Amino acid sequence: MSKPPTSYKAALEYLHGYLSRYTALSKQEFDQFLPYIEIREFEKRTKVIDMGEVERYLNIVAWGLVRKYLPVRNREITIQLASEGHIVHSDLSFHFRTASSCVIETIEPTVFFSVSYENLQEAYDLFPKAERLGRLLMSDLFVKKDNRFFDQLRKDTRERFLDYVLSHPQMLQRVPQKYIASYLNIKPETFSRLKHLMRPGRKGTASRE
Amino acid sequence: MLELVRRYVSGYVSLTNEEFALLAEKLEVRTFQRRVQLLRAGEVEYYMNFVVAGLVRMYFYRGKTEVITNIAREGELISSSSSFLSGMPSHYYIETLEPTTLLSITHDNLDEIYGKSVRIERVGRLMTTQFVMQKEEWEYECMRLDTRERFTRFVERYPDLLQRVTQKDLASYLNMKPETFSRLKNQIKKRPAVVKMSIK
Repeated sequence: MSKPPTSYKAALEYLHGYLSRYTALSKQEFDQFLPYIEIREFEKRTKVIDMGEVERYLNIVAWGLVRKYLPVRNREITIQLASEGHIVHSDLSFHFRTASSCVIETIEPTVFFSVSYENLQEAYDLFPKAERLGRLLMSDLFVKKDNRFFDQLRKDTRERFLDYVLSHPQMLQRVPQKYIASYLNIKPETFSRLKHLMRPGRKGTASRE
Repeated sequence: MLELVRRYVSGYVSLTNEEFALLAEKLEVRTFQRRVQLLRAGEVEYYMNFVVAGLVRMYFYRGKTEVITNIAREGELISSSSSFLSGMPSHYYIETLEPTTLLSITHDNLDEIYGKSVRIERVGRLMTTQFVMQKEEWEYECMRLDTRERFTRFVERYPDLLQRVTQKDLASYLNMKPETFSRLKNQIKKRPAVVKMSIK
């Protein structure tokens, strides 16, 4: 997405399009889900969920930007940067109904389409399509997680940096550098140095093989 | 054998006899000796496997080093899941550590029965969700727990594996040097009252 949608209607249409990539979903079928969706708005630099709380919602970013991180000793390890169209929530807490280990905090003012745990179970009970969508979304999430895990272990720092920055060009502007560095598991100094590779006019550095 | 699968599946959804039959008729029995490679990196994973008997490991190479990501025992699933789900070539190798019997289903057959039964689709959703959760939990543990804590948690969850799996493989699975693993294992022997870590 180059520009966030500017209305709830546009954002919902985007969501319909997004879900339709997984399974054919007519407008009528999509509209059946609408009563299960709540719209939640947050100002920037606000905690959406804190450590110790139980995650009540599955959230899709309608517009905005949030960071999910794991507080570890004195550090914060960024494990997800979610922008428009991304699903973000404290998964383990949501699924097992236990206290969240992670924190989700907004970077920009953010609007979520959220489905509560109870509503989601009800949707699964009532709509076979929901069951299929849930399975396919989870499959996709698993594959993404696995690819990311594998990339982090296999690729060197420069590759990881370029991979991310070239496929998420807007993130360098929208997200504080230290968060992206943490997410990519790159030292902040190294990240700074690599960022200079992205400066226009430097031959052969910003392009991929 | 099918009883084991039925029990496993009923942990997610209680299927009727008819529904379970739909699944059972698609299951293949596959047996292997020890140290047999079921899958190589670069191949596409066609099977989701349920371990009826034996022990299987999943690993990849970082340079020349083997990094083990999964060890599956009786009653557990093993598959290069992201390849199975996406149809893309596997990053991982799968190999038996002991003589092993698997009940396996192909991706196409699974898709077929998902289409036939919503409750089987639910089993699929819940199991896939479980895979995601396990991965997330594993990653959190790697980030949050130090070496000793990871070791302790592992020993509590899988005490039998200490005997069945080589020290080298266990160290690889726990992402620690073999010497560290050795040291921690000897410490446990000397001080059996290990600090209990809550699992959830």
